[in-house]
Amino acid sequence: MKEILLKAEKLSKSFSSGGAMQHVLKNVDLELYEGDFTVIMGASGAGKSTLMYALSGMDTPTLGKITFGDTVISDLSQDGLAVFRRDHCGFVFQQIYLIDSMSVFDNVMTAGLLVNKDKSALIKRAKELFEAVDIPETTQRKFSTQISGGEAQRAGIVRAMINSPEILFADEPTGALNSQTGLDVLNTLTEFNEQGQSVVMVTHDMRSARRGNRILYLKDGSILGECELGKYVPNDLARHEKLSAFLKEMGW
Amino acid sequence: MSKNSLLARANIRKAKGQTVAIVVLVLLSSLMMNLWLMLSMDYKKNFERCHDRLNDGHVNLAAYVTNDDFEKFASDMLKERADITDFTVSNAFVGPLTFEYNGGDMTSLAVLLEKDDALSRNVGKFEITEEGSEKSGIYLPMLYGTRDNYSIGDKFKVTLPNGEYEYTVCGFFNSAMIGSHNCNMMSLLFTSDKFEELLTDNIAWKAVYASARVSDVPKSEEIVAALKDAIAKEFPEISVTTNNYQMITTSRYISQSICAGILSAMAFLVLLIGVVVICSNIANYIQENMPNLGALKAIGYTSRQIIASMIAQFVGVSAAAAVIGIGLSYLVFPAINEMMIAQTGIPYTVRFQIFPVLLTVAFISIVVCAAVYFSAKKIKKIEPIMAMRQGIVTHSFKKNRVPLDSSSMPLNAALAMKTTLSGFKQNITVCITMLVISLVMVFAATMFGNVITDIDPMIDMIAGERADSSITVNLSIEDEFVSALENDSRVEKFYLFGGGSTEIQHVGGISLYVSVTNDCSKLNNQGMSVEGRYPKYDNEISIAAKYAKDNDIKIGDEILLSVGNKQEKYIVSGYTQNTNALGKDCIITREGYEKLAELPNVCYYIDLIEGADIDGFNDELSDRFGGDILSAINVYSIIESSGSVYVLLVTVLVIAVVLISCIVIIFVMYLLVRTMLNNKKRDYGILKALGFTTGQLVLQTAMSFMPSVIISAVIGIAVSTQLVNPLLAVFLSGIGVVKSTFIIPVAGSIIAGAGLVLFAFGAACLMSLRVRKIAPRELLAGE
Repeated sequence: MKEILLKAEKLSKSFSSGGAMQHVLKNVDLELYEGDFTVIMGASGAGKSTLMYALSGMDTPTLGKITFGDTVISDLSQDGLAVFRRDHCGFVFQQIYLIDSMSVFDNVMTAGLLVNKDKSALIKRAKELFEAVDIPETTQRKFSTQISGGEAQRAGIVRAMINSPEILFADEPTGALNSQTGLDVLNTLTEFNEQGQSVVMVTHDMRSARRGNRILYLKDGSILGECELGKYVPNDLARHEKLSAFLKEMGW
Repeated sequence: MSKNSLLARANIRKAKGQTVAIVVLVLLSSLMMNLWLMLSMDYKKNFERCHDRLNDGHVNLAAYVTNDDFEKFASDMLKERADITDFTVSNAFVGPLTFEYNGGDMTSLAVLLEKDDALSRNVGKFEITEEGSEKSGIYLPMLYGTRDNYSIGDKFKVTLPNGEYEYTVCGFFNSAMIGSHNCNMMSLLFTSDKFEELLTDNIAWKAVYASARVSDVPKSEEIVAALKDAIAKEFPEISVTTNNYQMITTSRYISQSICAGILSAMAFLVLLIGVVVICSNIANYIQENMPNLGALKAIGYTSRQIIASMIAQFVGVSAAAAVIGIGLSYLVFPAINEMMIAQTGIPYTVRFQIFPVLLTVAFISIVVCAAVYFSAKKIKKIEPIMAMRQGIVTHSFKKNRVPLDSSSMPLNAALAMKTTLSGFKQNITVCITMLVISLVMVFAATMFGNVITDIDPMIDMIAGERADSSITVNLSIEDEFVSALENDSRVEKFYLFGGGSTEIQHVGGISLYVSVTNDCSKLNNQGMSVEGRYPKYDNEISIAAKYAKDNDIKIGDEILLSVGNKQEKYIVSGYTQNTNALGKDCIITREGYEKLAELPNVCYYIDLIEGADIDGFNDELSDRFGGDILSAINVYSIIESSGSVYVLLVTVLVIAVVLISCIVIIFVMYLLVRTMLNNKKRDYGILKALGFTTGQLVLQTAMSFMPSVIISAVIGIAVSTQLVNPLLAVFLSGIGVVKSTFIIPVAGSIIAGAGLVLFAFGAACLMSLRVRKIAPRELLAGE
């Protein structure tokens, strides 16, 4: 039996747009489990990123309850949410969002020092993570605008992983990358997941979605269906076919 | 509407906050600039208008008459001089008088005139400014009707040479040349019955008061000297007191000069900050709007048109702000005018003045126009395609400042330091602002310590020597008087000092007011000697530093002095400074003076033991020596009464400059923080997404300003402590100050500097609270 990491009940999110309310999420009930690589799929505008950012405390739901352990994060203040994010979450963004006025290494240290005051331990971990994602020291000392998109996104993953978060949230992590660098990023995420890291990834790319063991399909703000793919195995045709069938069933 | 104004309007709409901040800075500057110009250009002209309206004399003299032939002599002397165009000689009384003013005593030599005679004088008219129904009593200069001192119907208690008297105040009058105790002699007008009593009851000394208009006004000082010389040759026994146009225009406008000086300095400093902010604003605008600027160029706008639109935007806003500031200055001016009248004693009606308005608006517009042009010039270098594609590089990638893995700073401080080191424009703006404000704060602290809380340093600097009591006695009883002082247990120290209105002619120069002393080492205010030393021997003299500077007289030079027909050479032993004679005075030993003439009387300065009753002491001696005591003055009481005007003025100015400094800091911080938040909105969003709280980001933002705030405050305070006295000497040079000797309150300045830093930090924190509006969600890609 898997441990529930995060639970959402009756989650709704509405935005005001031109005076009219737009209901992006509608009564979503969801549980995320420890060690899972959960993929949220759906068409553009289905509400997948909104769901992910509500679950991660980046945004507040309009209605509903989100619980992380004993903490009801939907009740937290903005600063409370910030503390929740730093202590429990890591984020990988489509646009990468490294701070371009500081070096790659400092980007990682900025997130790390927020939680961990033991600088030497932090530096050691950062170096291990950089090594794991295959970013050499010379690149670590460069600015984000001086490195490739793939290197930057892998550095973004190191930043997300530096505090050993309970959940790593990734929003279209390969969306801005070419095919090969996107693959490198997915491999990195898979490796971390295989080491026990819980991952929640939003994507509309089937190649990326195959990395997940659990696929949620969102349509018009509601979870339309769910598919269990099991442990990721590279070049597994059956896995591919199962996912294709699921997505077809969902109207993909 | 032209293309340029369309662009300008669009820019203003986009940057409302910056526009408001620039408006406030320009508004403050124009407010002070217009006040300064009104004070400098029209306020003194008001004296000229008053002087002309009353057909007042350029030279005035009051002679204590002991010879019946003197009046005819005086008339003939004035008639014979070609440089005197008109004159009036009146019978009067003179005498030192003491009365209550501003909570203390005021003592001055007074010319006492019959009211109707005074009003009908051809030269040196008086005008009644306020009158009641009382028909018997006294009319006071209008100065004494200000600040709740006297009202019509009040009893005016006055000590005259022959005792204490009480008169009913019938009204107030205005006189340009003798309407205040700042005029070397003041006047009181008596109703005819009371004037008769002056003679019948022997209340004051019979005198002649003459007012003369001269053809060459700038030479009025020399004419006075010549007249006195002529009188001294013919009537050496007659004591003469004079004043002249130059002296009065300066002495009646000391506070106006101080106020105008401070206002002008503040106006320029605030405008400087405004210009720095505008320049910084434009640089940021170009940086942020590079693609838009490229697009404008691409559709055919020339660089000149874009720059012209920016000039139109900033000059338009600044000129509008300047007009509002000028409007506000007219609301503030009546309050300043009221304070000024309490010192000038001349009525002034606030009226619209077009010239200061035009000058203020034109100056501010030209300065802003130049600042915008030079800041926006780089638009010429923008190539449209390049600009549209990528804008410009906003960061220097030469070095990763403050690497977090090796820095020993806490995280927030390290991140703040990174921002500091990458923000050159921000630092320059902060530095200039803080350097300027530091100077203002040290000035405020100096004024606080040297005037507001303790006026003694100011008195020491401008009023010269002082003791508890100053008693002038006839020479005939000097020995007995000195013996009385020696045997009085209340007397701690006494020494000969003064001469009152005794003058000495510098041959080839002007007439100098002389202070005669028997022992300079006993003087309480040794600081009055600003260079060299006091005279020690009978062939030495110490002269006013301003007079020496103006006439290139060096220490060690020999100067020729004369009284009447006698001339003697003296060696200049040093320079002195006090503003009583506006820098036209000297100190000489008794033996030195007596080589030229006998002293008409002697003045002793007396310090009493702690707790002794000064007034009681003076009264006792006055009773004992009767008419041989010519005046007995409680010096501290006089200082209190005349000093209170300056304390009030300086207090108001200090409060004003501190408040303005706070407003300036708030608006500069607002602009800088707003610019930073705009430029780094993405970074703030990322940091929030990573888990930085609003508090941490507010702290980081505020801290990023602190290195430049602290460094510039430290440098500013250190430099300002050295600058304040020289600057004050420049401001006060008109009244005879060549060396400002204010005690610079180092601790106070440090506290002021620390307060400044804390205030800037608080303001930066407050302004940085806008960071809470930055939501990490804004970073996220759309669904």
